Order: sequence, then C-alpha cells, then structure tokens
Amino acid sequence: MKPPAAPGPTPPGATLLARAALALYPPAWRARYSDEVRVLLDDSGGGLAAVASVAWRAIPAWVCPPRHLHDRPARMRSSLATALMAWSVLTGLGLVFAQLTQLQGFTAPGHPEVRWAYAVFDGSLALSALVAGFGGLPLWLLMLRRAWREQRPRDTVYLLLPLIAPAAYLAALVVTIKLLGRPNGVGPWWFLVVTLAGFAAAATAAAGPGLALRRLQPRGPALRLAAAAAGLAAAIMALAAAAIVVAVVGLCLWARDFAGYHHGTIPGIYLALVVVAATVTTVSAARGTRAAVAEP
Amino acid sequence: MTDRLDRWADPPLLVLASLAGEPKHGYAITQDVAETMGVRLSAGTLYAVIARLEARGLIEPLEAEDRRRPYRITMAGAQALAQQSERMSKVASVARERLSTSLGWAGT
Repeated sequence: MKPPAAPGPTPPGATLLARAALALYPPAWRARYSDEVRVLLDDSGGGLAAVASVAWRAIPAWVCPPRHLHDRPARMRSSLATALMAWSVLTGLGLVFAQLTQLQGFTAPGHPEVRWAYAVFDGSLALSALVAGFGGLPLWLLMLRRAWREQRPRDTVYLLLPLIAPAAYLAALVVTIKLLGRPNGVGPWWFLVVTLAGFAAAATAAAGPGLALRRLQPRGPALRLAAAAAGLAAAIMALAAAAIVVAVVGLCLWARDFAGYHHGTIPGIYLALVVVAATVTTVSAARGTRAAVAEP
Repeated sequence: MTDRLDRWADPPLLVLASLAGEPKHGYAITQDVAETMGVRLSAGTLYAVIARLEARGLIEPLEAEDRRRPYRITMAGAQALAQQSERMSKVASVARERLSTSLGWAGT
C-alpha cells in the first residue's frame, strides 16, 4: 500500500469548509465516511475545488443513499416519531376547525359542499385515530412491557404521556370552564389560552413515545406494523385536511356570518398551518411505511 | 478534446482497477489513478464511488490505519472488473482496426 505523499499546504478556512460540506450529507453517510474524506482532503491539500466536489456529491447521497448504510428500523422509528408529532398537531388543528365551524353551526346555504366537507372531516379524523391507535398499540405495549421489566422509570413515564397529558389537560379544562365559563363559553382570550394549552398537551403526548422510540430502539414486526399503520393513518388524515380546506374556503366564499366573524387573514394562516402539518405528516409517514414494506 | 474524453472515464472502473493491484486507502487510490490512468478523481467523486462499490459488494473496507481506511477488491469486484475489461478490450481492438483501415492510423 502506498504511503501518503507529503501533504500540500491546507488553505486557510478549508478545514471549516470541509466540515460544512460534510455536514450536508445524511447522518449515516457522515458516520461512515466523513473521517476518511477529511483525511483525504488533508492529504491532498484540500483545495476549494476538492471541498466543492464533496459538497456537490451530497445531493446524490440524499437522493440515492447507499443501501448498506440504510438502517430500516432506525428510519421507521425516526419517521414514526415525526409523523406522530405532526399527526397530533394536525389533529389539534382539526379540533380547532370543528370548534370554530361546525360546532358553531356555520353552514353555507345552497352549497352542500361545506356539509359534505364536515362529514368527510368527521369520518376521516375518527378513522385515522382508530388506525393509528390499533396499529401503534402492539408497539406501545411491547415498549411499555420492556421499560417495566428493565425498570426504566423515565421510559415508562414517556410511554404513559399519551394518557397522562390529555387527562391532565381535560381536567384543567373542566376546572377552567367551571371557574371562568359564561353561559356561552369562555371569552376569546381564554379560548386562545385553552387552545394553546391543548396544542402543548398534544405535543407532549406525542413527544413521549417519540423519545421512548429513540431510547428503547425497538425492532421487529410490531415496529413494521406501527410504521405501516402510520402511513395509512396519515393518508386518511390528509383527506381530513383536504376537507378542512374545502370547508374553510367554502365558508369564506359563501357564508357571510363566518366571513364577518373571522378576520380575513386568520383563515389564511390557519389553512397554511394545516397544509404544512398535513405535508409533514404524510411525507414522514410515507418514508416510514416505505422502510416497513421494503425488501430486507 | 482529450481532456473532455477523459470525463467519459468510468470512475467505478478506475477505482476497481486501482484496487486490483493491492488494497489502498482514499488518497493512495487518487494518486494511483492519476499516475497510471491519467485521471484525477476528486474527493467527492471518489467517496461517492467507494460508497456505491461497497454497497454492491464489489469492494470491502479493511481495518483503518491512522484514520486512513484501506479498501480491498472482492471476488465479485474482480469478476465485474474482468468482464468490463474484456468488453473494453473488444471496443479498443475494433476502434484500432477501423482507424487503421479507414484512416491508415497505426497508433502511437
């Protein structure tokens, strides 16, 4: 084997640039090759052209990641955690939609599309929750049993957060309404506080299993089932998101009560949030499902 | 024109040919390819090729020495290189034969 020739002078800042270029690669690629590339750049003098070639090649490394670096269980766990968080936010946005539209009795007379959108939203939300719940239950039970058996109290708490956080939120909500509620509900500021607290509770409930997935690193059929169910639940939830868009746009166009009650920009911001949450949920779940159904 | 044609060189083939002699680490591969085949492989290209060849089982990593990890050609890699070399030999002989009959070119 040839010994490395005398290295040329490394241009100032090239090391920093090399690190920046390597940071563009997927984590698995970096973990496997970044040390070697850095040594090669040092040995060869590490000119800017060499660093630029490293940066440029990061694109195919993301588009077609080398198969031997592809850790399917890690991909499923990571996608599952992201999809769960985005799904919870999307569900929260959906509940806000339900509270501010159909539960207020807003319809668009002469335009049945809004009522259809309500029905599609209700059905999709319920079905998506059922699929996510039943698909994720075996994995949740498996992790809970392992955390219990191995006496890992922190992981046990993380796994119980989907029960604890909503229960705590609902209890706080009941107390708040009893103390501050008026005959027609709470005031707008308290509604905002209650809504934000609801999102915090949903995020906490979703973060628990996500952290447990990262710490316990489960594998096997239960993980594959959960990843596949997340894909299906996300697809159904995307339908619910589409129903939200149809209903809100329909109400803005055809229902004067709704348009007068809500400032014009608020539905726009709301719809943008729905689209972002639905996109993140769908993309993450699709990546996890692809890893679940791929040939080993 | 010659420089441009050099870009058609298949980097995976160059790396396999370089490793056919003995195991080498990244810098040694680029040096060998530059000296013996006249092609400069950039760091980005080299490691994209190494990752692809490793994924296909055509080369394998050895124990790292002082942060430099050598690679060795596998049996599958040697077979792939032999097949491709055979094909290139045929192309080269056809090209030489036709150049000599049509242009009277006898080569250098």
